[in-house]
Amino acid sequence: MSQQLTQIRPLSQPVHMPDEPATFSAAVEAEIDGHLAKYPVKRSAILPLMFIVQRERGYLDPAGVLYLANRLALRVTDIWEVATFYSMIQTRPVGKYHIQICKTLSCKILGEPLITERVCKKLGIKPGETTADGRFTVSMVECLGSCGTAPMFQINFDYHENLTPEKVDRILDSLP
Amino acid sequence: MTQDVIKVTINNKDIQVPKGARLIEVCRDSGFDIPSFCYYSDLALQASCRMCLVRIEKMPKLQTSCTITCTDGMVVTTQSEEIEKAQRAMVEFLLANHPLDCPVCDRGGECELQEMAFDWGGLEERFTEKKNYYAERYLSPMVANDPQRCILCKRCTRVCDEWMGEDAIEAGGRGANTVIGTYGGWLDCSQCGNCIEVCPTGTLLDATYRHQARPWELAQTVSTCTYCSDGCQMSLGARGGELMRVVARDRYVNGLNGEFLCIKGRFGHPFVNHEARIRTPMIRYKKGGKLIPATWDDAIRHVASKLDSIANKHGRNSIGIVGSPRLTNEALYLLKKFATDLIGTDNYAVTDSVNLTPFFANLGAPLATHRDIRYAKTIVLIGGEPEELQPLTGKQIRQAVRNGGARLIIFNSVPIRLREQASQFIHIRPGAEEAAVLALAGGATDSLVSRKMGIETAELEKVRGTINETEGDLIIMFDGSLSAAAQSALAQLSYLLRADNRRVLFHPLPLYNNSIGALDMGMTNGAIDVTQMLDAAGRGIRAVCVAGSFLPEQLRGREESLAKLDFLMVQELFETDTTSFADVVLPAASFAEIDGTFTNNDGFVQRVRQSIPPVNQSKADWMITDQLARELGVEFGFGMSASAVFNEIAMQVPGYAGLRYPLLKDESKPVQVKHDIAVQRDISNELETVRTAVEQMDESPEKHNDTPDVGHELFKIRTLTDKVAQFHLLAAGNPRPESLNVSPLYQITLSDDLRAEAVVAGD
Ligand code: SF4
Ligand code: FES
Ligand code: FES
Repeated sequence: MSQQLTQIRPLSQPVHMPDEPATFSAAVEAEIDGHLAKYPVKRSAILPLMFIVQRERGYLDPAGVLYLANRLALRVTDIWEVATFYSMIQTRPVGKYHIQICKTLSCKILGEPLITERVCKKLGIKPGETTADGRFTVSMVECLGSCGTAPMFQINFDYHENLTPEKVDRILDSLP
Repeated sequence: MTQDVIKVTINNKDIQVPKGARLIEVCRDSGFDIPSFCYYSDLALQASCRMCLVRIEKMPKLQTSCTITCTDGMVVTTQSEEIEKAQRAMVEFLLANHPLDCPVCDRGGECELQEMAFDWGGLEERFTEKKNYYAERYLSPMVANDPQRCILCKRCTRVCDEWMGEDAIEAGGRGANTVIGTYGGWLDCSQCGNCIEVCPTGTLLDATYRHQARPWELAQTVSTCTYCSDGCQMSLGARGGELMRVVARDRYVNGLNGEFLCIKGRFGHPFVNHEARIRTPMIRYKKGGKLIPATWDDAIRHVASKLDSIANKHGRNSIGIVGSPRLTNEALYLLKKFATDLIGTDNYAVTDSVNLTPFFANLGAPLATHRDIRYAKTIVLIGGEPEELQPLTGKQIRQAVRNGGARLIIFNSVPIRLREQASQFIHIRPGAEEAAVLALAGGATDSLVSRKMGIETAELEKVRGTINETEGDLIIMFDGSLSAAAQSALAQLSYLLRADNRRVLFHPLPLYNNSIGALDMGMTNGAIDVTQMLDAAGRGIRAVCVAGSFLPEQLRGREESLAKLDFLMVQELFETDTTSFADVVLPAASFAEIDGTFTNNDGFVQRVRQSIPPVNQSKADWMITDQLARELGVEFGFGMSASAVFNEIAMQVPGYAGLRYPLLKDESKPVQVKHDIAVQRDISNELETVRTAVEQMDESPEKHNDTPDVGHELFKIRTLTDKVAQFHLLAAGNPRPESLNVSPLYQITLSDDLRAEAVVAGD
């Protein structure tokens, strides 16, 4: 029975909701105000604001979510809904290097399973996990629009294309 | 208003429809069944389930009829091989990740997916991949969740947003991994349970009824809610004399509320079979002694002889008769008749905290129905907090604004949640509600009114401007904060505010399920009110018979009054502050055990139907009165028939003329009482009284700046909600348990402090 079922990523595990929202420096607040000013409706600014909070805090932690909800006049669950839709937005802490392996058709056909296997073996973790030293997180994502150079993955904001298992070794070894 | 009519052809049948009609509705009304999951009338369109496909000529692909607005000359086919193939494929898709274990699912037997699978499903599952799996869990004390059964129709997220304005439940994740849930896994909301109701599958489930019964074992009885004055229609599901659950599913009941219910209506029913229900009649033979169980005959005889001797000794007016606004019209009518015709006392009253008599005496326009509210153009709300006290009204207002573009003007000293919907929220000083009536009546007093309210004069001009621009319905709502003079003036303002293209309707906001009925039955026009009666206890008033209990706020500061009475008889479900002074306690039957009618704030007379036999030895309140009358030598002659009492009501109470139970049979076509419409008259005296009162108003009270928490009224523990364990958790702040997989009831034991905080004692 259990082999026939895949556990869905646990999307809403209990979080401890802080009483106070996150706070940011005056410069960041000004940047946020700049984004809010662009839209007639506050909630439209949700994505740029999420990126800022993520940049500042590493991921959308409960205090950050609360901050966004207050700032956008939304409820925390609205923030959660959007945050979990995008693989670029993290709702859990990620490592220094976030390896996002494309698992969509072109990449899959051209060898994604081998790439994933190599990455995971080398780091000793499974997709969705972070190494114990906090350096690497591996996740599987949908098409990154680089099908012509499949298979590929993205580490933080950099593309690595035409991957082979050997190339994976080289890339990972060369990271500072 | 005339509507343009266009012609569409469906399956070769020509049909005239109003312009703008939705194709799926038109097909269904014309007898062509269209399967659907995500379509829900009067909610935002979703078009995610693709079950409602039809072929429309000149359009390239099959179309979702739920999103199509009919246009003139449209030619539609609803059944063909092509369509059936597409629909069968859709069901196969929906079942790909759905567990096929209906026998262990609480929704089994009344599941829309199950039914659809019977009609459109294949015999065999071709999908052999792994199924998505997610453990069952609790989202709150009221809502259980089995995420893997979800078909992502998003009805729940839409009702949460559009009906309740809460956005408490949303869809997280993406694609096949989308899951309905909340941030942090815990549902912090008003716990209305409407998401459970509209869920077509077993994904969202009633946690209080979980694994208690199967739907086909339940006898479903259509009845009216016993909590607030909105009068939602509901279906009581009973098995073996026990009320198992309350739903508003449209397969069982189709009332003014649709599938809407609030937390009290849906989850507030376990008091019915609660073990604390009074079991037998009881007599206290000696003041200060114990209540001793007795037979009905002995108890009634005891009451009769006491009333007899007190009337002989102190006169008939020394006996007070009191009824609760929760009783049926039948019970209240008979109480009044008992008081005036049999006892012959002028001292009868209802334990309501709001008295709308002056309003109804001057009523210049009919009451608005909930449907009128939904389609109103402008709504003026003076005081009140419908979301907490009349939740269906709250929902109708929100939909009128969000889906109908109505303008909402709120006068309130508290920034209630509904202000998010308001086009104009006028934040007034506490106690200044009266002054709103002056503002509506004209600009002469604006400077006084704005000063007392603590607002700009321009705000008041804006209100009148909005009203003057209104074409369509203008609905004025108000709560119990208005004085008699203000109520009378307001009731006449319809003559002033109406116009050729504008209809004025009223929607009073009383607090109890039968507040309006009590008024109609004449229980409110006794010589004194309840507090005066309590104050006169031991002097003018020697004996009191009460059906129900006094409210805590009525007893506050009058704790001694009841002890001063020579004799107190109480008809109750539970022991209360009032019964602790009673000389005779008689067990009354709850709304689920009796037949009768309630009149709601629309003026609709709606049926209450017996679902289970009376619990313990209880009897319907009207039967108790009837029996007492018989003992006192008067035969009312109603036998065992509530409908006979109602027939007499129809003869005696003008607005109810001609009504009979059979005419009230169909809950989807409720009958409105014809309240007398008073002719227009000069209201300058009333306005002057209001003006003087406003002039004397204190300008010191501060406005409240905090929006009250969701549920601050709904979750209050009162006599009835006290009997529902889950309400205690909510009243204590809805703490999230350690594990979401086990019911919070088994994980959280409230400390005595919290419990004390939760209990505010009852009405
Ligand atoms: S809104 Fe009022 S009538 Fe409707 S379910 Fe709630 S308490 Fe009952
Ligand atoms: S499929 Fe991998 S980038 Fe498009
Ligand atoms: S009902 Fe039309 S797509 Fe679901």
